[in-house]
Amino acid sequence: MTEGRQPGGSPGAGAGWAVLATLIAGMAVWGGIGWLLDRWLSTRAFLPIGVIVGVASAIYLIVVKYGK
Amino acid sequence: MGILAKACPPGDPGFCPPGVDEFYPKPIFEFTVAGIDFQVTRIMLLSWLVTVAIIALLVAAVRRPQLVPDRLQWMGESAYLFVRDGIAREVIGREGLKFAPYLATVFLFILGNNLLGIVPFAQIAPTAKIALPAFLAILSWILFNWVGIRRHGFIGYLKPIFFMPGVPKPMYILVTPIEVFSTLLVRPFTLAVRLFANMFAGHLLLLVFTLGAAYLITVGNISVVFAPVSFAMAIIMTFFELLVAALQAYVFTILTATYVAGALEEAH
Repeated sequence: MTEGRQPGGSPGAGAGWAVLATLIAGMAVWGGIGWLLDRWLSTRAFLPIGVIVGVASAIYLIVVKYGK
Repeated sequence: MGILAKACPPGDPGFCPPGVDEFYPKPIFEFTVAGIDFQVTRIMLLSWLVTVAIIALLVAAVRRPQLVPDRLQWMGESAYLFVRDGIAREVIGREGLKFAPYLATVFLFILGNNLLGIVPFAQIAPTAKIALPAFLAILSWILFNWVGIRRHGFIGYLKPIFFMPGVPKPMYILVTPIEVFSTLLVRPFTLAVRLFANMFAGHLLLLVFTLGAAYLITVGNISVVFAPVSFAMAIIMTFFELLVAALQAYVFTILTATYVAGALEEAH
């Protein structure tokens, strides 16, 4: 996948923003799932666990998608 | 200061900072269709005015085209070629020519609406109300998804998003929600909010400095020495708004083009 093709901007800037967006999306999605689990089970631990899982998955996704 | 903000209740001697009321002027005209209330405010009128102006300018520019263009034709051509070559062709490639008209329309429309934020007597950008950027973002979302589905088929388009290649099967559970969320949901949201927030904040900034300068001049105590500072800031921020208006139009257009390019290319 030729992600990160640069339309005249600084090289790699587009991929940089996409990496940031993926990290934030990971935290949001898995943090959100953790938060919903917390509401359903009346616990407090799943939100931070969800966020950490989200960050880890996002980093994995970034390495697969943008790494060489 | 007839058209400018009036947030202060009468008799209040202090400075009343501009608030969200700025964006809800008294409607000129209201009507209801099928139970939905519509209001026509001066902000809407400005948006219509700009649309008519852009159409008039572009039509006049190509009315009697000559081989050696006169100035209006040259300006119209430059505006269109800026988007067609610099954005559509550059980002999407050969196929970009098909999307150039839509991208040029979006670019000029957003640019015109944004610039109203610094035009005297108008002084509010219609894009500072979330509805307009939201709808433009929805259009961009429909466009890039439609193009991707038409190119690869419904399953073929969604498959690389849901099941990214190069990822071992068990990781799909973790990675797919992130991919789906960031590709299908976050993109239109950030397109809309980026444009809206820039215009909203810029308008409030200009209001604060301008109304502040006016207030400081009339307040009658030592604070009047700060009035020139406030006024200078208002002028500086007006020029900054000019830059932001153009930049936000450019960013919206080039991101739409990037998403279209991404939807077209998914060749594995």
